[in-house]
Amino acid sequence: MFSPDTRFLVVDDFATMRKIIKKVLAELGYTNVEEADDGQTALPKIKEAQKEGNPFGFVVSDWNMPGMTGIDLLRAVRADENLKATPFMLVTAESEQKNVVEAVQAGVNDYVVKPFNAATIKAKFEAIYNRLNKAA
Amino acid sequence: MSAAQKVENPLLDKNLVNAFVDGVKKTLSTMAMTESTPQKAFVERDFKAKGEVSGMIGMVAGNMRGTITISFEKPSIFKILENMLGEPYSEINEEVRDAVGELTNMIYGTAKTALNEMGYAFEMAIPTVITGSHEITSYHKGAALVIPFSMDENLQFFIEITVE
Repeated sequence: MFSPDTRFLVVDDFATMRKIIKKVLAELGYTNVEEADDGQTALPKIKEAQKEGNPFGFVVSDWNMPGMTGIDLLRAVRADENLKATPFMLVTAESEQKNVVEAVQAGVNDYVVKPFNAATIKAKFEAIYNRLNKAA
Repeated sequence: MSAAQKVENPLLDKNLVNAFVDGVKKTLSTMAMTESTPQKAFVERDFKAKGEVSGMIGMVAGNMRGTITISFEKPSIFKILENMLGEPYSEINEEVRDAVGELTNMIYGTAKTALNEMGYAFEMAIPTVITGSHEITSYHKGAALVIPFSMDENLQFFIEITVE
């Protein structure tokens, strides 16, 4: 499983959802968590962290946000040579087939559909970790 | 012909009503470990939000335009948020409004997914949160379908559906 020191970035335009995800992360033992309220504020943070040598080890992002959406943030991360390996999970109310396909094509590591609970998030993290380590 | 086209009055469309009822139950039980039970629905000529804080979404599906409103009395939303966020609430502040918006989003998203899988064409929309007593007349011609929900401790909230 991801180390308890893993640095997380939680991106959502709703403060409530950021709070819920932070609460779930804390329940899973992750407390090194920062927040951004859309893709436009998240991307500079991700780049900055990488430059400073303390990169985010995981990004959890909402899909529907004003400014820059989660899928556009994901595409920007995957297009950047230094950031492209960052594990990235989308959290969204969109669970129709076309959305899943779009997210997978954009290179998402996994996908959580709202509403969710802590057990779902934990299972997704474990699945992502196992896939990444198998691939390595 | 798709399911959506067969229906003349969307307020009498069981698929639509059930999708929103299921969306409410699923969202509250998953996110807030709060069980809720729908009561007998009724129709009102005038649309009047029943609770003190409401999340409203404009629904667009093909030619159909309408609104779905989730309206909470104070004690019911405070209980739901305490269950969801682990903190007590006693006034309708920015945090409560934000949470009502997010709950409305999730309920609409869940219902929309279920309906679109049945052949409807609901589009994603952004919720508006309203507080205080309010009446909206320009949004609909006709009637509002009101579905009361009960929770533990005699608490209740409402979903209200209007169609143009």
